[in-house]
Amino acid sequence: MLPFLLAQTVEDIRFEMQRLQRNYEFLSYGLIAAWVILAIYVLMMVARQRRLKGEIERLRTMLGEKRL
Amino acid sequence: MRDKAVYVLGIIAAALLVNDMLHIIGLPDEKMQGAVFKIIFFHVPVAFTALTACGVSMIASALFLITRNFLFDALAVAVTEVGLAFLAANLVTGSIWGRETWGIWWTWDARLTSALICWVLYASYLMLRKSIEEPTQRAIFAAVFSIFCFIDVPIVIFSIKWWRTQHPQPVFWAGGSFPADWAPYFWFNVLAMMLLGAAMTLVRLRDEESQRELESLRRMANAY
Repeated sequence: MLPFLLAQTVEDIRFEMQRLQRNYEFLSYGLIAAWVILAIYVLMMVARQRRLKGEIERLRTMLGEKRL
Repeated sequence: MRDKAVYVLGIIAAALLVNDMLHIIGLPDEKMQGAVFKIIFFHVPVAFTALTACGVSMIASALFLITRNFLFDALAVAVTEVGLAFLAANLVTGSIWGRETWGIWWTWDARLTSALICWVLYASYLMLRKSIEEPTQRAIFAAVFSIFCFIDVPIVIFSIKWWRTQHPQPVFWAGGSFPADWAPYFWFNVLAMMLLGAAMTLVRLRDEESQRELESLRRMANAY
């Protein structure tokens, strides 16, 4: 490892550090994107459930009134 | 009962994911690709979950055509929608990974294209359902279309064996080179994603039941 490091120029090391930094950036973008997609979908399901429950309740009330 | 199942599945999935994350952070970077290779712990499990969802949808659709039990139709639509969300996560994480390792966001190779076609096909399945009003006709047409859509799934899986692709060759089968000591974390992540998918399917199934109840109430309201 040490001879390898000694053989590198400052430019090489700087380039490698930038590459690793970029690497972590892209890893975090990937993970964030995956979880954001799944979270948005869960929120959409919850919102739809609320809307459906509201509509069911409204129709039930309307039908109850009509029966009376 | 179903609410309890959703919570139990969700909690087990979250515990597995947190435990895995703690271990995955500690793993060394891959020699050629560096840290970004660790995206494989999410990219592949979401793909497994998505393609399993396609399989469950196909089986539920076939069972609906045989039995005409609408519960199978509800399961097919619920699992398809959840699978679509997971497949979207797979495509996006793959694209981000590709940008870093290949220098491009997208290429029209067999694996990527067949996966995109799979997403479009199952999105079309959901659009088809929206376009048919009559419930029995809708369920029959959708079931037949879901079985047709499944034709693409083996193509997605085996495309990297059948054709030369930009996408890497298999790393988990056919002589793949995934490190053996990393494998447990990977398979636990697969299990966690599957459990998460199952919990989401149960939630979506409840939406579908509410939708059906609403439709029957609307019919009653129109009959008055």
